[in-house]
Amino acid sequence: MSQLLQALINGVMTGTLIAVPAIGFSAIFAVLRYPNFAIAAYATIGAFAAWWANVAMGLPIPAALLVAFAVTGFIGVVAEETSLKRLRNNGALIVAIASIALNLVLENIVRFIFGNEMRGYDLPIARDMRFGDLRIGPQQLQSLLLAVVIMAAMFLFLRYTRFGKAMRAVADNPDLARLKGIDPAKIAIVTLFLGAGLTGVGGVLIGLDTSIDPLTGYRVLLSVFAAAVLGGLGSIPGAVAGALMLGIAEELALLVVPATYRTGVGFVAILLMLTFRPRGLLGERAA
Amino acid sequence: MTEFTTDRRTLLAGAAALAGLSALPGRALAQGAPIKIGTLTPLTGAGGPYGPVMVKAVKAVVDEVNAAGGVLGRKVELISEDDQTNPEAGVRAARKLIDVDKVSAILGTWASSVTTAVAPLCWESKTFLATVSGADSITQLPHQGYLIRTQPNTTLQGRKFGEFCVAEKAKRVFFLSPQTPFAKSQFDNITEAVKKAGGETGSLIYDDKKPAYRSEIDEVLRFKPDAIIFGGYTPDTAVMLKDAYRAGYGGLKVAFGYAVNQKLVESVPAEVVDKTFTLAPSPAEGSKAYARLVKMIGVASPDPYTTQIYDQINLVLMAIALAGDASGTAIKDAVRKVSQAPGGAKVDNAVDGLKAIAAKQAVDYDGASGPCDFTETGDIADCQFRYEQVQGGKLTLVKIA
Amino acid sequence: MLSYLIFTLTLCAIYGLLALSLNLIWGSAGLVNLGLAGFFAVGAYASALATGAGAPVLIGWGAALLVGATVGLVVTFATLRLRDDYLAIVTLGFAEVIRLVALNERWLTNGSDGISGIKAPLKAELGTQNFAYFYLGLATLVLVIVWALLRRLDGSPYGRALKAIREDQQLASFAGKPVLRFKLQAFALSAAIAALAGALYAHFQSYISPDHFQPLITIYIFLAVTAGGVGRPSGAVLGAYLVVIFLEATRFVTEWVPGLQPVQLAATREMLIGIALILVLHLKPQGILPERIPKAPVPPAAA
Repeated sequence: MSQLLQALINGVMTGTLIAVPAIGFSAIFAVLRYPNFAIAAYATIGAFAAWWANVAMGLPIPAALLVAFAVTGFIGVVAEETSLKRLRNNGALIVAIASIALNLVLENIVRFIFGNEMRGYDLPIARDMRFGDLRIGPQQLQSLLLAVVIMAAMFLFLRYTRFGKAMRAVADNPDLARLKGIDPAKIAIVTLFLGAGLTGVGGVLIGLDTSIDPLTGYRVLLSVFAAAVLGGLGSIPGAVAGALMLGIAEELALLVVPATYRTGVGFVAILLMLTFRPRGLLGERAA
Repeated sequence: MTEFTTDRRTLLAGAAALAGLSALPGRALAQGAPIKIGTLTPLTGAGGPYGPVMVKAVKAVVDEVNAAGGVLGRKVELISEDDQTNPEAGVRAARKLIDVDKVSAILGTWASSVTTAVAPLCWESKTFLATVSGADSITQLPHQGYLIRTQPNTTLQGRKFGEFCVAEKAKRVFFLSPQTPFAKSQFDNITEAVKKAGGETGSLIYDDKKPAYRSEIDEVLRFKPDAIIFGGYTPDTAVMLKDAYRAGYGGLKVAFGYAVNQKLVESVPAEVVDKTFTLAPSPAEGSKAYARLVKMIGVASPDPYTTQIYDQINLVLMAIALAGDASGTAIKDAVRKVSQAPGGAKVDNAVDGLKAIAAKQAVDYDGASGPCDFTETGDIADCQFRYEQVQGGKLTLVKIA
Repeated sequence: MLSYLIFTLTLCAIYGLLALSLNLIWGSAGLVNLGLAGFFAVGAYASALATGAGAPVLIGWGAALLVGATVGLVVTFATLRLRDDYLAIVTLGFAEVIRLVALNERWLTNGSDGISGIKAPLKAELGTQNFAYFYLGLATLVLVIVWALLRRLDGSPYGRALKAIREDQQLASFAGKPVLRFKLQAFALSAAIAALAGALYAHFQSYISPDHFQPLITIYIFLAVTAGGVGRPSGAVLGAYLVVIFLEATRFVTEWVPGLQPVQLAATREMLIGIALILVLHLKPQGILPERIPKAPVPPAAA
């Protein structure tokens, strides 16, 4: 029993790592309607930006998170404006493919500047807290809290602020939004800044638990996609729910499936979800 | 008849001497065509943390040898390609090195799949291949001598891991590894060594791209191990070590020298990796090759792949000098005459070795990764191991045995 | 140099088949298959295992086609009713699962060691050099046959129906086309062609392993199809040749850049590939050989 419970807790902790980049991915998808593969590079860039702030400049991690958010958001906007924006008229798939190429370019810019060697933050690590047979990581708890706060903030921002409403209007119908005096180009920039920035923040959290190198983001790309699809493409709370679900599914499955098949578990979870509830946990219509 | 023969002999000898005389200054001036050597290391992809330093080590040796006058009076030219840690790309790069650059030897293939894919091109084109890959199957390929491997095979290495754990009084040893071609045989050899001492072993193969391994570690801890052997590479081993620390594991930690290397030690919090032991192939105590390499490339603890490729370039250059010929076949035939000539003068670098060879001395190279003596199939015959331990954020030599 | 050219051209033909596969599903039916590397792997393993068990090479290729088509059907069955972006993500996951299976099921695939010594047809009889020529001819022949068949398909009523589905699914189904069945068939055929490419690769190299089938090759093929012209078989093939030549040419270009570390040169190479794809999408969105939109059918006499 405690094994099962521990696996559940582990799932939540693992899922948390995926949740923040999944929010970023979903935010971009919600407004611009294409799956952005460059989020792998954005996560990596965020991890490196925070590394620079934390190790080279000596800033504490919360400040480094802000730096990562700003730097990645900025790079995301620049990348979008230079290499993806003009393709958006050609359909989601073309932009998606271009974003794969963009990811390759950004990953290798990071490699060019920093090399392949792994780096780490200047942050002590804490042992897990124990409650009887169960253990919980305090830092993972903080990450979870951060993910929930970001999710809530994004959700409230989209629902209640003028800008957020405008974003949703563009997401629903760009032409109609334009008629109402909303500038879709400006909305796209803000969306990218938020989406890429949050992915960058997620990259820092991943970098804290893993290592910082040019493939930091790429290694979790499939998991982020899986989380977003499970939760429902384009839904912000869905991204978090999907990430937690994916984490729990993977950790629970380890009790019966060999550990090498973890990625496969995510894939089966997607297939099951799409078969029985094609719009994902909290998503809109998918067919 | 007899007279005539003698005459002809004298004539020939004289002509040869003349040719030799006229050739020598000419060579020294014109330096002939450069000798081309290729490296095929992972510069991008999963092996990316290792390839760049490996090339750096080869470059340092080549520069040094060129500054000392080259090999056979010819300059050595280094051509580096990226295998992208992918055999499909590796084969394309190897074809270019072999067919376009016409290199004499390719050094440093890392992933076992890349080596297995590239090896046939090498023996078919009579190009020499030196690899650091670990899969036991590699030296069993029909390579006709065109392949040597400086990485100890799993029988040698697995046994050492097992014996080390036993010596450290571990009774329950757990082997934690991603799916590699040598994971299974490594574990079998560890198990053999541990069982012999009355201990128990367990193993888990994990997916190496995951950001957390909490449940994997839980499974490991259910085995109640007093020693864990980490069988992965740097990125996944970093995650594993962190999760083991969080779970409160306080037992013996052992890892490959290439996984827990200087970069890993510097990039994770000190307490995570503290007291971890590493094993790396090594020459006997007192060998200067390792210290020399450290000085040459400015890396305090070069990892095993770097020490190996350093030995490969030294061996290949000396073999060319000894054979008086830069072809792959010449290297194949001569490499064991510089790596393990009986009674040869011990040398630990190519510059000294080339001088000795020029002076017609037999040489026996002892390198930074071991004595570098090869069996007929291309495996290293034996080597000792460097046992290092992470102490206060630094890799500290414990013993060589 | 000559054997390098022959090798590169043989690879071009294999990439050409992959590009034809992608062009069929993407260019004709408008579906994205990001799991191309997975189908490539399935075919390579199917043929390697079949011939390893004693079957002749041609039977191995047949097995690759069959297994490829079957796996294609399985993958799409659950997902084809979904929106295209879902399909893209699912196929990407599929390729990773195939790689995992190849990596872990040692009893079948020999795990991460891979399968070596795959039968190279007539290599013993021809010798290494002649085999290279022979295989170049063979691979090119297969490419030409598949290309010709797909061109005919493109112009046939079936091909036009596929394109109608690509342009407007609802309209097509309104017009009485069984959209789902058409999509399934197209996907299965496309998967079979990718698998055939895998089989050709396996017997060309005599060695395959899970590491061969990483997603990078899928990116190359997308570059090929977009560069050559989506929706036109000739464009896809041309694109494949250009991409392989471009990939190889970047080696020689970066050699001329002084003062960079090897890792920086390698990074520059990969950057160039990404930049090329983005540029092509911007400058030549229709590709070098744009799709010819067929005119409404007219009686042959009038044409």
